[in-house]
Amino acid sequence: MRRIFQIGGEETECWLAHDGSRFVLNTPEGVLPCRLDPTTSPGGFVLRARGLVRDVRLAAGPESTFVHMDGRTYEVGRADPAERLAGSDGGASDDRIVAPMPGVVVSVAVKPGDIVAAGQPLLVIESMKLETTLAAPRDGVVAEIPFAAGDSFGLKDVLAQLAPEED
Amino acid sequence: MRRIESQIDTNAPDYKANFAAMSARLKEFHTRQHAARFERPQRDNDRLARQNKLGVRERLKLLLDPGTPFLEFSTLAACREYDGAVPGAAVVTGIGIVQGREVAIHANDASVKGGAWYPLTVKKIVRLLDVALENRLPVIHICDSAGGFLPLQHGVFPDRYLGGRVFRNQVKLSQANIPQIAVVGGHCTAGGAYVPTLSDYNIIIEGTGAIFLGGPPLVKAATGEVVGVQELGGAVMHTSVSGTGDYRAATEQHAFSLAREIVSQWKRMPKTIIETAPCEEPYYDPKELYGIIPKDRKTQFDMREVLARIVDGSRFHEYQPDYGTTLVCGFAHIWGYKVGILANNGVLFNDSSLKAAHFMQLCNQNRTPLVFFQNITGYMVGREYEERGIAKDGAKMLMAQGGSVVPKFTVIANASYGAGNYGMCGRAWDARTLFMWPQAEIGVMGADQAANTMADVKIRQLQREGKELTDEEIAAIREPVLERYKRDVEAYTSTSEIWDDGILDPVDTRNALAMSISAALNAPIDDPHYGIFRL
Amino acid sequence: MTISKLLVANRGEIAARVLRTAKARGLETAVLRHASEQEGPAHVIADEVVTIDGPTPVAAYLDIPQIVEVAKRIGADAVHPGYGFLSENAGFVAALEKAGVTFVGPTSDVIDLMGDKVRARAFVEERGFPVAPSAIEDDGPATFIERARAVGYPLLIKPSAGGGGKGMRVVRADAALEAEIEAARREGKRYFGDGRLFVERYIERPRHIEVQVMGDGKGNVVHFWERECSIQRRFQKIIEETPSPALSPEQRLDICETAAGIARAVNYRGAGTVEFICAQDGTFYFLEMNTRLQVEHPVTEMVTGFDLVAEQLRIATGEGLSAAQADIPQTGHSIELRICAEDATADFRPSIGNILLLDEPRGEGVRVDSGILDGGKVTTDFDPMLSKLIVHGSDRAQAIARARHAVQNYVILGVTTNTGYLDAILAHPDFASGDVSTGFLAEQADALTAPGENVDDLLMAVAALSDERLVAEVMQISDMHRKMGGWRN
Repeated sequence: MRRIFQIGGEETECWLAHDGSRFVLNTPEGVLPCRLDPTTSPGGFVLRARGLVRDVRLAAGPESTFVHMDGRTYEVGRADPAERLAGSDGGASDDRIVAPMPGVVVSVAVKPGDIVAAGQPLLVIESMKLETTLAAPRDGVVAEIPFAAGDSFGLKDVLAQLAPEED
Repeated sequence: MRRIESQIDTNAPDYKANFAAMSARLKEFHTRQHAARFERPQRDNDRLARQNKLGVRERLKLLLDPGTPFLEFSTLAACREYDGAVPGAAVVTGIGIVQGREVAIHANDASVKGGAWYPLTVKKIVRLLDVALENRLPVIHICDSAGGFLPLQHGVFPDRYLGGRVFRNQVKLSQANIPQIAVVGGHCTAGGAYVPTLSDYNIIIEGTGAIFLGGPPLVKAATGEVVGVQELGGAVMHTSVSGTGDYRAATEQHAFSLAREIVSQWKRMPKTIIETAPCEEPYYDPKELYGIIPKDRKTQFDMREVLARIVDGSRFHEYQPDYGTTLVCGFAHIWGYKVGILANNGVLFNDSSLKAAHFMQLCNQNRTPLVFFQNITGYMVGREYEERGIAKDGAKMLMAQGGSVVPKFTVIANASYGAGNYGMCGRAWDARTLFMWPQAEIGVMGADQAANTMADVKIRQLQREGKELTDEEIAAIREPVLERYKRDVEAYTSTSEIWDDGILDPVDTRNALAMSISAALNAPIDDPHYGIFRL
Repeated sequence: MTISKLLVANRGEIAARVLRTAKARGLETAVLRHASEQEGPAHVIADEVVTIDGPTPVAAYLDIPQIVEVAKRIGADAVHPGYGFLSENAGFVAALEKAGVTFVGPTSDVIDLMGDKVRARAFVEERGFPVAPSAIEDDGPATFIERARAVGYPLLIKPSAGGGGKGMRVVRADAALEAEIEAARREGKRYFGDGRLFVERYIERPRHIEVQVMGDGKGNVVHFWERECSIQRRFQKIIEETPSPALSPEQRLDICETAAGIARAVNYRGAGTVEFICAQDGTFYFLEMNTRLQVEHPVTEMVTGFDLVAEQLRIATGEGLSAAQADIPQTGHSIELRICAEDATADFRPSIGNILLLDEPRGEGVRVDSGILDGGKVTTDFDPMLSKLIVHGSDRAQAIARARHAVQNYVILGVTTNTGYLDAILAHPDFASGDVSTGFLAEQADALTAPGENVDDLLMAVAALSDERLVAEVMQISDMHRKMGGWRN
């Protein structure tokens, strides 16, 4: 029910309700009963709000709604606050890459001190007849690669360690 | 359905006096309720802020759909216990709306004694989980508790309906295919660890949430192992190593957003269908209830005037209007839901008891939920009534009421004395929700009567010992008994002890009942069946 | 000579506009399209669409060998270059000539002459046409600074090889002259690989007025009256109109005849535009001659009733001009607005996106030359002009009123456009009175981009109510719970 709207770079968090007979947009400024009825023109609607009646044309893109009203065109960015938070799913990433199972290091692509980007391959391991590329979980600096190509490692051994992030 | 024709004169002096008296009571009630919800010592608020935790009310705001109602239970629980230092019994419970679905919510209030479980905390949680079980409501637990309050562990831990019952009810919920989510926003230690682990889904807030059977100090004492909170039971460990936790949330906002997302994944179960009509506001202003409830509890009033300010359109189809007139029975709608109403207009006689039993069978037959409005001083006593079988007729009423399969809801509107409380679906009789109005009283008999009875025992004993008592001496015996009794029957005592689900401002009764009815329809209604009626 | 198949070596609105006339004249038509380019109206109109490649889309349209090869391969006997790209490229004209394909435009030597601002100016000056006092570095680099001084202040320094306003600098005091010359030289080198400069008198509050001319290459030259193009932002025209509100009938005849005279002097063939800078007192000086069809040519068409592309094609086939000077009227008033994908409130940053809804204005006296289609995509591969809105009215006031109504009802949703900005210009009192100069947009920048009445709440209501997912989420709450709202007991 909540949305963050962005107009001209300014964000406003609102929530929409429906009291059984009409929609009500709750903005930080107050409560706005409103309704939107389609017309016959493509993307055409009649907006009723604040005692005003306005012909509008609108088109909703994935992130913005474009509105033509009173001879002007506006872009209203929309964000679901929940989806924004979903960006933090899983919480902060770990600095260590821990062996998911025992195996052998096939090759090592970086050395301590290297600057790596998130997703950049660090080393390739082989376990259970499968080669797996282990990539940097975040941007950072390689602190340690304890194993060399050909070395065996055990479950939960640390295969790579990034230098801690500075806040 | 016909509209009730109100006889109330809002200009009458009595009405105005009643209105003033009720307004004063409600002012006190709302003040106390606000304090229980929001007023905390600064140091407790500071501690929460320091721990980077949100208060329980903010957490609810993040969880619930904006612009939807929340029916809170027992806000004033424990208000007369523990020196009043444990407002709300350190827990918030109620029925709210998440992603359009009705859910039961159990949320520790860490601003009160760190969310510790007092005896009444446990009672309030168990009651909430009973509500969830009876109504098949999914439960969202918001865990943030210091654990059982050790000095009172005897009232928290051992008995059937104490601590273990919380977890037992969680198991029963799961067994009944009723989902539960736990949001761990604080420590869940020892028994508390089972709240998230017995939930189908749990979310741990990184940094503040932790789950362990024994916290770091206990571990050190028991085995000498020195271990930090995060390593022992933090979000990262549980969601990546132990599998005890399902989701790791970076922030409180993230946690409740995840909880909402989980709820939206659940299959929507169809609700039980009962008769409904388009909703209509009461024709008469519900605020007029303030002037209708007499300021003196012993003054009789017509319950139809109360119903006219609660039911849809003030419309009421009265059943047997001219028989057993001390009990008003009939059909009405509340927020569109058809209900059968039983409301006291005096003592229960043989005829009113039989009428009640018959009416309740009608409602069970056509799946109409029952709503009881209590203002009852009891069943009629005396030789004539015993000869007519008042106890037998009362038993029929209890058999019909106790054997009802439709959901029942009770409002203690004024007096609730003696067996009348039983017949009118008192606490022991499984009303899905039971609310009291602030001036109402509950007890085995009225205060004067009880005080006199208790004083008489003492006086007769003294008389047998040959003592002549002056009026002053009699009063000296009677007065303390009366004072104590008066306090014990007050709504605040009832609500403190969780004999009810909360005190209501009378104008909120309509919504509270509708929320309760709507919630109850998440559970199926069985086919009617009864025990043996003593005919 | 006849033309049976015309290749339009351009894109966007001008390709569509040229194709319309070509088809109406019964020609077979073809147009280019880069592989990454969105479908536009031109691709719908043309009989044949030929895909071209290039490291960038723009590079493909500048690839002379490839385009000549396309023309030969598809059997086109003529190429219309539109404007921009290869329209003023003498090498392209020569290559086409070699391939035996007709170029719809002037001869390469005229393109060459007019393409060199310094030579063009000298040519015009020598023949007695008015040019602003100036100094050309090439005439004697050693004395350039002295000669520049002699032009007088304020003066304008321009790179000899320049265009589009790049590297131009105004100097108002002698003390700054030498430093500014060096700065201009550096910019000239950076932009054009050529550090040569020239200096001319800078005219305060100048107007930009140009004259549409057309010659048959056999000595016949006519003019199609003037266009006022003073509404410019950083030397880019935004709004053009005809007639100019600034000229008296005598001045109008004078400037138009001057332009025709310049075209005659080069025995001009095809459509061309002679640009002048006009002082507030009405004196005017030759600026440059553009040897192509101009973006703003439709306003001329609206007041004269002639199809300039049809005239171009007639000239290319040797049919010659369809009218003598006396037959070319100037009726009513016409205004053109350039609709661009740019954000006027964010320093005219180009805007990209998908065109989610397109509804062009219609009505009496309204013409839209569009390069976009509903559902299309706007990228930064090409310049941000999407289309042109042209209106005609019986007088200037009616034309302004129609332009405002049309631009307000031009619905382009999905990318930010300058329609609101254009409307703000039209609504400005100085525009209404015609009291403008090329500095108008810069002087009024704040007023023209000032936010209107705050309607954020209405916009959020529209965005919320049209968000189907949001509405569905709200409506999944039962009627009763919605009606109770935020009730608490």
